[in-house]
Amino acid sequence: MHVRLIGLLAGAAMLHAQKADPAEFFESKVRPLLANHCYACHTGAASGGLRLDSREALLKGGKSGPAVVPGKPEESLLIAATAYTQDRIKMPPSEKMEDTEIADLTSWVRTGAVWPETSANAPAAAAAGYQITPQQRAFWAFQPIRNPAPPKVRLPRWQANPIDAFVFAKLDEKKLTPAAPASKQTLIRRATLDLTGLPPTPQEVDAFVADKSATAYAKLVDRLLASPRYGERWGRHWLDVVRYSDTAGDASDYPIPQAVLYRDYVINSFNHDKPYDQFLREQLAGDLLPAASEPEKWEHTVATGYLAGARRFNVNPLENMHLTVDDTIDNFGKTVLGLSIACARCHDHKFDPIPNRDYYALYGVFQSTRYPFPGSEKNHKPNNLVPRVQNEFDTVLKPYLDDVYKLSSRISKLEGEKRAFVEGVVPGRKLADILSEIVALTKERQPLLDQAPNVQIAYAVAEGAAGNARIQKRGDQKDLGDEVPRGFLQILNGGPVKDNKTSGRLELANWATDTANPMPARVMVNRIWQYHFGRGLVNTPSDFGKRGTLPSNPELLDYLATQFTQKGWSVKTMHRQMMLSQAYQLASEGDAANLNIDAANEFQWKFSRQRMDAEQMRDSLLQVSGELELGPGGAHPFPHMGTWQFMQHGPFSAVYETNRRSVYLMTQRIERHPYLGMFDGADAALSTAVRSQTITPIQALFSMNSEFVFARAKVWAGRLIAELPDDRKQIAAAYRTAYGRAAAPDELGVAMQYLAKTRKTLEAANVPQADAAAHALASYLRVVMASNEFLFVD
Amino acid sequence: MLRSLAGASLLMPGMVSSLLGADDPMAPKQPHFPAKARRVIFLYMTGGVSQVDSFDPKPKLTADHGQKLPNKKFLVRSPFEWKPRGQSGTQISELFPHVAGCADDLCVIRSMKNDDNDHFGATMGIHAGSVMFSRPSIGSWVSYGLGSMNQNLPSFIVLAPYLPYAGGQVFGSDFLPGAHQGTRIVPGGEPIPNMTRRSESAAVQRGELDLLAEFNRRHLAGRPSDPSLAARMKSLETAFGMQQEAPEVFDLSKESDATHKLYGLERGSTQGFGWQCLVARRLAERGVRFIELIDSGSDLNKNWDAHFDIQTHVPLARNVDQPIAGLLKDLKSRGMLEDTLVVWTTEFGRTPFHEKADGKGREHHSKVFSSWLAGAGVKTGITYGESDEYGIDVAKDMVHFHDFHATLLHLLGIDHKRLTYRYAGRDFRLTDVAGQVVNGVLA
Repeated sequence: MHVRLIGLLAGAAMLHAQKADPAEFFESKVRPLLANHCYACHTGAASGGLRLDSREALLKGGKSGPAVVPGKPEESLLIAATAYTQDRIKMPPSEKMEDTEIADLTSWVRTGAVWPETSANAPAAAAAGYQITPQQRAFWAFQPIRNPAPPKVRLPRWQANPIDAFVFAKLDEKKLTPAAPASKQTLIRRATLDLTGLPPTPQEVDAFVADKSATAYAKLVDRLLASPRYGERWGRHWLDVVRYSDTAGDASDYPIPQAVLYRDYVINSFNHDKPYDQFLREQLAGDLLPAASEPEKWEHTVATGYLAGARRFNVNPLENMHLTVDDTIDNFGKTVLGLSIACARCHDHKFDPIPNRDYYALYGVFQSTRYPFPGSEKNHKPNNLVPRVQNEFDTVLKPYLDDVYKLSSRISKLEGEKRAFVEGVVPGRKLADILSEIVALTKERQPLLDQAPNVQIAYAVAEGAAGNARIQKRGDQKDLGDEVPRGFLQILNGGPVKDNKTSGRLELANWATDTANPMPARVMVNRIWQYHFGRGLVNTPSDFGKRGTLPSNPELLDYLATQFTQKGWSVKTMHRQMMLSQAYQLASEGDAANLNIDAANEFQWKFSRQRMDAEQMRDSLLQVSGELELGPGGAHPFPHMGTWQFMQHGPFSAVYETNRRSVYLMTQRIERHPYLGMFDGADAALSTAVRSQTITPIQALFSMNSEFVFARAKVWAGRLIAELPDDRKQIAAAYRTAYGRAAAPDELGVAMQYLAKTRKTLEAANVPQADAAAHALASYLRVVMASNEFLFVD
Repeated sequence: MLRSLAGASLLMPGMVSSLLGADDPMAPKQPHFPAKARRVIFLYMTGGVSQVDSFDPKPKLTADHGQKLPNKKFLVRSPFEWKPRGQSGTQISELFPHVAGCADDLCVIRSMKNDDNDHFGATMGIHAGSVMFSRPSIGSWVSYGLGSMNQNLPSFIVLAPYLPYAGGQVFGSDFLPGAHQGTRIVPGGEPIPNMTRRSESAAVQRGELDLLAEFNRRHLAGRPSDPSLAARMKSLETAFGMQQEAPEVFDLSKESDATHKLYGLERGSTQGFGWQCLVARRLAERGVRFIELIDSGSDLNKNWDAHFDIQTHVPLARNVDQPIAGLLKDLKSRGMLEDTLVVWTTEFGRTPFHEKADGKGREHHSKVFSSWLAGAGVKTGITYGESDEYGIDVAKDMVHFHDFHATLLHLLGIDHKRLTYRYAGRDFRLTDVAGQVVNGVLA
C-alpha cells in the first residue's frame, strides 16, 4: 500500500534521477509534465512563438530566445520561467508547477535535455494507412450534385414549378393525394410568420386578400423578403446552428459583450442576401479575405466571430483549448458540411470515411488560429480581441484594463474579507475598516469606469503561429502521437495546406465552398427547405453521413442544390422558388387516407402545421399588444468589463428584459434563458439543427398565469379601448390582429356574452366597476393569446 | 372548474389519449426488467464532502497525523469522533449522528471516483456522466426512460434554494426532449414558475379556461389530423391540475407536529434542508419520478467546499443530518422505502493532507470519496469498496460515476446500455461507453 502511495503522490523529487536511464527519465517525468502544464498553449498554436513538443523546438525557442541550453539550467529560460524566478515570464501562468516537477525539469536540462526518438514520435503506420473504400466513396452524400430534369407529371398545374413536379411525382409514387390549396388568409399568416417571425397586420391581410392579381402572392413574398424583419427571423435559424451565445461557456460563463456584432452581422447578411458561399468564407476566414474598404474589412473581421464563439471549457479555458478546437471542428462539420467530424477525434470515424488523421489535419488549422480570450476565473482580463484600429487593443485597451483590474481585484479581495468576516471565519480587521476601504476604492475606480477608452473591438480570431497538430491518442491531449500535416477531409478531395506559413484557414474556406464539394449547397438548401416546410428532405439536417437519414426526395434535393449554386448562392432566390411552389401553398389538412401512408408528412402532401417557436410566440405577443420595439437590438447591459471578477463560485448570470425582438435577448451558455428554455429555444451550448416542439404543462402555465402574458393583455386591452368605441369593434379588431381573420358572427356573440358575464364576475371579485370593462377585455384577450389558433401556424 | 374541465375531458379522453399515445413524452413506460425502485430521491451536497471526516474512517491517518508525504504535504487527521453504528457496525463520524442512527438502512460506498478536480466538471460528471460536455442529467434520463406517474406534476423536480456549480445544466435535459428537464423549485412564493393563479378570482380563471377550451375545440374541429393540438389541450388541463395540486404539495400545514419534529422543521418555515426533505417525501408520494435535493449550505460561498477549515462541515452537517434521517425514517414507516431509492452524494471528496502541518482545511479530491444508497433494491447495512489507509486513493472495488449511474439505473429496472437517445448521428447513453453495474450493492 505504502509503495503505491508514493507512486501516486510522486512528483517526489528523485534527485538521483541522473542515475536513471535518461530516455526513461524523460518519458516518465519530463514528457508528462510538459504535456500537463505546457501543451495546451505551446504545441501547434505556439504561444509566444514557442513550441515545446520537440528538442529542436526547445533549442530554437520562441520570441524570447532559446528555451533550453542543454547542460545549463541556469541559462535556460524554460527553467527560469517555470521556477518563477524571471520577472517577465512566469509559466504556467495559472499556477506554478510543483517544486518536484521544477526539480525534474532542471535535472533533465542539466543532464543534456535528452529527447529520445520514441514510438510517440514515429509515424504510426496503421493510422497513416487509412484507405477510403470504393463503397464509402459511393455513398450518396459524397456524389457530385446532379442536375436532374423535372419529371413529367399527370396534372399540368404541378408541372409549372419544377419543385412541384418533383414533389408530385413522389406523391403519385406513394399513392398520396395532395391537400387543397390554403386560403389566402392562411397563406399570408403562414408566409409572414415564416419569413419575418411575426403575424401579418390586419392591413397587410386586407391588402393581400383584396389583390386579385395573379402576382399577388409573389409580390407578398418579395415584400416580406425585403423587410428587415426577415434577417431577424432567418438569422436566428443560423444562430441556432452555430450555437450562438452571449457568454463563453467556461465555468464562470464569462460575458462576451462583442458577440452581438456577430449576431448583427448574421442578421444583416441575410437581409442583404449575401451569397452563401461568401457568407461561409467570411465566417471562416474573413480576416484573410481581400476587402474593398475599411468598413468591409471590419465586417469580415466580425464575421470570424463564428469561430471565436466556440465554447470555452471549465475553470481554466486556456488549459482546455483542445476542447475549444474540438468544438470548432464539431460545429464546422455539422453546420457547413453536415458531417459529424468530431467523432473522429479519438479514433477513425466509425461510420463515415473520416480518419482520425483528417480530424487532426483540421485541428492543426484551428490550432494555428488565435482565439480571443474572454476572461476566466483564473484571469479575469479579456485578451486577444481584435481592434478595429490596428494595435488599439494592445496599446490602449490593455493598459487601461491593467489599471482598472488592479482596483477591481483589490475590491474583490476585500469583498471576500467582508464575507469571511460576516461568516465569522477570519476575525482579522474591523468590518468598518473593510467597508470603508471598499467604498474608497470603488470611488477611486469610478472615473476609470466612466472614462473607458472608446476602442472598437470584435470577438474575432486572427492568425496564430502556424504549425501542425499531433494526434491526441484517444483524444487525450497529453498522449501525443503522429504529427499530421494541416489539411482537409480526404473524402471531399481535401489535400494538405499549400501555404505552410499560414494556418490554412483561407484555404479551408475556399475548399469548403468550392462547388466541387457537394456538401455545403445540399446542406444549406435542405435547411432552407426544413425551416419552410417543418422538416428537411434529409431529416437529420446536420448529419448527411451514414448515420443520418436518406433524402426523402433525392432528385429534388439535387435540383435545389444545383439551382442554389447556379443562382449565385442566393438564399432569397431559394426562398422564392420554394415558397412559390404549390407544395408550400397547400392547406395543412387533407385526405385522411394519406395519414395511413405518411402520417409524418415526409413527402409534403400537405403543409405541416407548426407550433410557434419561442421567438415567434414572444414576438407575436408583443406585436399584438402593440409593444414590440422594432429596430436593432444593440448591446446588452452587461456589467462594466472593468469590474469582472466572475468565478465558478459566482458565475455570471443575468436575464435582461426588453421589448425588442427575441433574437436580441441575451442568451447564456450555462444558464438557459428561463423563457426560451421553457419553449424549446436553442441551447447555446449545442448546435441546434432541429428545435423540438414539446408541449408541456409548464408552458401551459405560462399561458395561463405568467406576468408576461398578463401584462401584454392589459396593454392590448387598454389600446383597444382607447382606439375603438365599443366591445364589438374591439373584439373584431382583436380577431383580425391575432388570427389574421374576421370573427364569425357567433364568435362575436360568444365574446359579448363572455364580456358581460366576466364584468359581473369581476365585480364580485371587488374589481371597481369603472375598471371592470378593461379587466374583462384583458381576460378575453388572454384566452385569445393562449388559444391554439394563435399558437399554431396552419 | 374541475367539473367543467372534466366535462371537456369527457368529450375527449379517448381522443386525447389515443392521439397522444406514443407521442406523449411523459406517458409512463415499462422498465427493461422488473425492479423494486420506482422513484429516486437524490440528495446532493454541493462543494465536496470530506470522506475522511464523514463516512470513511481512517485510523492510520490519525496515527500518522503530521507526517510528511512524498508530495511534501502533511497528513491531517480527522478532528471528528468515529463510532461503529447499529447492528451493522458501519463507522460514521459524529458529523452525522442522526444519519448514523439509520446505519443499518445504508449501503455506504467508500470507493467513489470522479474525473475532475474542479467543482464544475465534477458536478457535471456525477450528474450527467461527462466532466467536460453538456449532457442530459440523470434525472432527465430517468424521466425519459420511465415517463411520469403523475401527469399533474413534472416528472423530474429539483428542490434547490441555490444553484450548484455549473448552474441549471446540472438538471438540464440537453438533447433529450425539453419535457424531461428538471423543474427547479425554490422555496417560498412560487415554487413552480407560474403555478399561482394570476386572474382576479378563481371564477374569472374558470371563465377563461372554459372559453379557452371552447376556442380550442372549435379550432380542432376542422383539424382532425394533428395530435399536437390535442396535446396542447391536454397540457392546459394538466397545467390546471398542477395549479390545483402543487400548492397542496407545498402546503405542509396538515403534516403533524411529530412529522415536523422528525425532520427538524419548524412549523411554517420553508427554510433549510428539512423543508426540502419533507417536500421531497410529499412529491414522492404523489408519483414524481426523480426528486433531487441540492444542499448548498446558505449560498454558493458557504457550501461544503472546506478549503479554509474543515470545521465548516459542522454547521453544514447539522443542517442536513436530522432532515435526512427524518426522511429515511418517514419513508420507512410509510412503507415507501420499499419502492423508493435514496441516494446521497457529493461531487468529490477532500484531501486527507495539507500543505502545512497545521492546515485546517482540505482541498478538492476526486480520486476517492464516499456516497451512500438506501431503499429499494439496495443491500443495506453494508459498506462497499475501500479507499487506501489514508483515504487518498481507491484501494478496492472502484465505483466510478459511470458505474454509479449504471447501478442507479439498474435499480430502477433500466439497462444503462439500452437507454439510448439518438442525437447528431450517435446513440448517446448516460454512461457514455462505460459503466458496470455494481452487483455488490444490490439486495
